[in-house]
Amino acid sequence: MKSFTYNDMDFTVEKVGNAWDIKNGNALVAAGLFAGVADADAEAKAVALVKTIFPVGVRVIGPDTVHPITVGDIKYFPPAVNHANFVYWNKDSSSQAKKL
Amino acid sequence: MEIKGSVALVTGGGNGIGEAVVKYLVKNGAKVAIVDMNQKNIDRVVADVKAMGGEAIGVMGNVTSEADTAKFIKAAVDAFGALNIVVASAGIIKDSMLLTLDKETGKVSRKMGLDKWQPVLDVNLTGTFLTLRDAAEAMVNGGFKGILVPISSVNKAGQVGQLNYSSTKVADALLPKIMVGEFLMRGIPNIRVVGIAPGYTATPMVAGMNQDALKAICADVHLGRLIEPEEIARAIGHAIENEAINATTLEVTGGLCYKGGIAK
Repeated sequence: MKSFTYNDMDFTVEKVGNAWDIKNGNALVAAGLFAGVADADAEAKAVALVKTIFPVGVRVIGPDTVHPITVGDIKYFPPAVNHANFVYWNKDSSSQAKKL
Repeated sequence: MEIKGSVALVTGGGNGIGEAVVKYLVKNGAKVAIVDMNQKNIDRVVADVKAMGGEAIGVMGNVTSEADTAKFIKAAVDAFGALNIVVASAGIIKDSMLLTLDKETGKVSRKMGLDKWQPVLDVNLTGTFLTLRDAAEAMVNGGFKGILVPISSVNKAGQVGQLNYSSTKVADALLPKIMVGEFLMRGIPNIRVVGIAPGYTATPMVAGMNQDALKAICADVHLGRLIEPEEIARAIGHAIENEAINATTLEVTGGLCYKGGIAK
């Protein structure tokens, strides 16, 4: 079993029979994958798949805060640009500075 | 085309018709990518598929986002190595009349707003377009034999109170003809497109309606009852397996009729 933390989420990749399950905490992300693939390859594929399903980096256009539209139960409010976690397009947040 | 061994992707796969399609395909040997906006529903259906001994991935995605459609198509291909069946069943309703009149003055007191119109077009039409477009791209580039299934509705005939919904569903019903025509022009022989137009189906949303309203609906159905989601799934299964069905939209309504017995 391989465990890793990615994008503040804890994942496990576990061999069940000859296939693989991926869990995000207790929730199943995938079941029965990569049957017959060598262990190291299957783990690498699972990590890559997690990164596809849960991409880091969200590009937000807008929001148009004066528009009357709400989406479902979500009402858009203006971003708190002074919040420590606010990320500008061209610089890091102050709370999560890039580590090289 | 055989379902067994195929790779399927179902948007709106976390409940209702989409969930029934996922389980039908898994039961018949397909590997399935479940796409939905609700993570809890995704988790539940993936767990159900595991309990069935099937193979599945769950991907939260918004079909109105190009980034998301690209993401979940890539995830399906990365996980299973192919993409053969895509059922675009994500859909919403926001029923409203075009105009509402004040009873005393007879003047317009309210009109359908963009808040009712635009989200329905975004999910039901743009979302279906993006899903099928990106799926077709993956099928062509990967050389996968496949079928695209937009979900229309019997209300493509034009349902009062659903100007938004009916407009999207009549457009969804037209997609198979145009897309297959273009595939023929472009020399793309490996992708069929078959729409399914369900009638009133016993999804949790419909089954939870006012029981008198439900009775009135069922009175217009020759079969005398709501269609079960599994019956829609079986119709999709038949469309997958029978390659002569192509460039068309099949109605699965149980014989929904106008008052007086003329079939819709």
